Amino acid sequence: MASPFQPLLATVMRLRGTTACLIVDERDGVIVDSTLQFGMRGNVFAALISSLYRKAKQSAASAGMGDASFVQLEAELGRVCAVGRDGLVLIAVADPKANLGLLRVELLKAREALA
Amino acid sequence: MADEIRALSDELASNPASQAFLRLGELLRQRGELDAAARVAHRGRERHPASAVAHDLAARIALDRGDSASASDAWQAVLRLDPAHPGAHKGLGFIAYRSGRLRDAADHLARAAALDQADASIAKALALVQGALDQSGAAPPASPPSQAPARRSSIGLSLFSDLAAGAETVLLLDQNGLVLAGSAPVDGADRSAEIGAHLSGISEEADRAMRHLDLGAWKTIVIEGPMASAALSPAGEGGLVMVTAPRATPLGLLRRMLDRAAERGRTWLEEGA
Repeated sequence: MASPFQPLLATVMRLRGTTACLIVDERDGVIVDSTLQFGMRGNVFAALISSLYRKAKQSAASAGMGDASFVQLEAELGRVCAVGRDGLVLIAVADPKANLGLLRVELLKAREALA
Repeated sequence: MADEIRALSDELASNPASQAFLRLGELLRQRGELDAAARVAHRGRERHPASAVAHDLAARIALDRGDSASASDAWQAVLRLDPAHPGAHKGLGFIAYRSGRLRDAADHLARAAALDQADASIAKALALVQGALDQSGAAPPASPPSQAPARRSSIGLSLFSDLAAGAETVLLLDQNGLVLAGSAPVDGADRSAEIGAHLSGISEEADRAMRHLDLGAWKTIVIEGPMASAALSPAGEGGLVMVTAPRATPLGLLRRMLDRAAERGRTWLEEGA
């Protein structure tokens, strides 16, 4: 059965350089829906990134930054971006060739559809 | 209670590897039989050296016996096994407060509060310590020289002072999220300990996530909020540097500030090692 999030995932996955996209429960890191590359261990990754997102959000609140809207983790060979709303986190994995500006805009747009 | 103590003692006698020592030690502690409780906890720690709860039991018994040094050692052992153990942070915060180390107390209690939001006693203790810090003029960290080299203590407050222009917060945190240098002024109060508590473990999680994806080492984390943006990067020894700036600050400039702060933090850690 297709989840209501499939169109949202498909939109993000269409962006150049995006290699995976997941919607995760912010509190426990359980995957709600995802589009992953073959062989990718989504469960562990989802749990780690949702925890990282939660910590980023809490630290941002403590630092007086307000509710964090966009979190980006940059690594040597790619990046992971996350947006959240109403207890859900939308996570995208992208390679270095991805257009970060476009990915950010699409994720922030998609955030509005999370609920 | 006496029957349960007898039953647990019998169980432990027939199976010394049993976890029954945890309940037995706790019951003896509650009855005020502290010497017996300490013996049980000691044997339990010897048999189960990787058990955080065994060290936690020993710490609570030591504190009841008035042995703060042993309690502190045992809770430090708990944190080496489980850095997110709220009871250990609470206990260390209490010991630090009692010995007048208000900054350390605030650090530990803020971490405990972040880890166990249901325990109202932690929030009350934190408010008490924060009030004492505010009254004392607050800023200098009260770590005794035996715990931190004097050079680090004296430089910690001013390490990033010339980088702070344009930035709201510049912080250097250790691998446990404890503040090594810098400050985070928010609404007139320094929130650095609270921020550090929330960020505890984030570097390790980023490392693990990147390993799962084969993306190499992580370089930066950028957080965007409606009022400000933050950037974090590794700073050596498992630590982190965090810089925040108003939302209007271009992200490229924020990254430059982060790079400079991270470089300075790494150098400082290397020189102080």
